[in-house]
Amino acid sequence: MKHLKQQWKTRTSIVLIVSVLVSLILVTLERTDWAMQINLQGYSHGSPEGEKPNIAPVLMYILPFVKELILIGVPMLLTLGVAKLAGLIKGMFKNKA
Amino acid sequence: MSNWKQNLQKFRYVMDALLLISFMLVSAPQATGVPLHEWFSLFFIVPFAIHLLLHWDWIQRSFKRLLSKLSARERFNIVWDYLLYIMMLLVFVSGFLVSVALLPALHISLNIQDFWSKMHHDTATLIMPMLGVHLALNLSWIVKLTKRMFAKEAK
Repeated sequence: MKHLKQQWKTRTSIVLIVSVLVSLILVTLERTDWAMQINLQGYSHGSPEGEKPNIAPVLMYILPFVKELILIGVPMLLTLGVAKLAGLIKGMFKNKA
Repeated sequence: MSNWKQNLQKFRYVMDALLLISFMLVSAPQATGVPLHEWFSLFFIVPFAIHLLLHWDWIQRSFKRLLSKLSARERFNIVWDYLLYIMMLLVFVSGFLVSVALLPALHISLNIQDFWSKMHHDTATLIMPMLGVHLALNLSWIVKLTKRMFAKEAK
C-alpha cells in the first residue's frame, strides 16, 4: 500500500478534478443536434421488457462473459498480429537499407 | 508472490488484475442484473482510480513524451490510453444518466434520455475492443510480470 500512499491526496484530487471537468464537457453532448435527433427517433435495445430470451438459464450467466472475452480477445490478437507484421516490414526495410 | 505489496511492479500487476476482473463483472449486466451492475459500477471507480494513481509517473511523463521524438508505436500507445480514459468517463457519465436503480435508491430522480441510453450501450460495447488493444500494447509487461509473479522463489 506504500505505493498508493505517496502524495495520494494531491494525486487523487487532480484525478478527481480532471475527471469531473472532462465529464462535464461530455455531458454537454446532450445539447448537440445529434443527441436531439436520437431523442426524437427513440432508442431501444435487447428484448422487450418482461420478455425472457429463449435460451437455457445457465447460458444467460455465461454468454455475457463469452461476449466480453470475444470483444476483448479478438482485437487484442489482431493488434498483436498487426504489431508483429509492422515489425517484420520495418525489419525488411532496415535490411535493404 | 508473497512480497507483492512491497514491489511496485507486482503491486501494479495485482491491482490491474483486480481491475480487469471487476471490469468484466461490471460489463455483464445481463448476468448480474441491472441493479447490481449499477452498484458494481459505482465501486468500480475505486480500482479505476487506483490504476491511474499507480501509473502516475507514466501519466506525467506522457505529456512531455508526446511533444518529443517518439516511435509510432509509443505515440499510438499514449494517444490510445488518453482515448480509453475519455471513453471510460463517457461510459461512467452515460451510465449514471440512465441509472434506474442506483440514483433512485439515493433519492435522485432523472429524466432518462434515449440519447444517453444509446451512448451508454454503444460506448460500453466499444470500450471492450479498445481494452483489447490496450492489453495487446502492454502484453510484454503483462507476460514478464506473470512470469515474475509465479516464479518459484529461490531457496
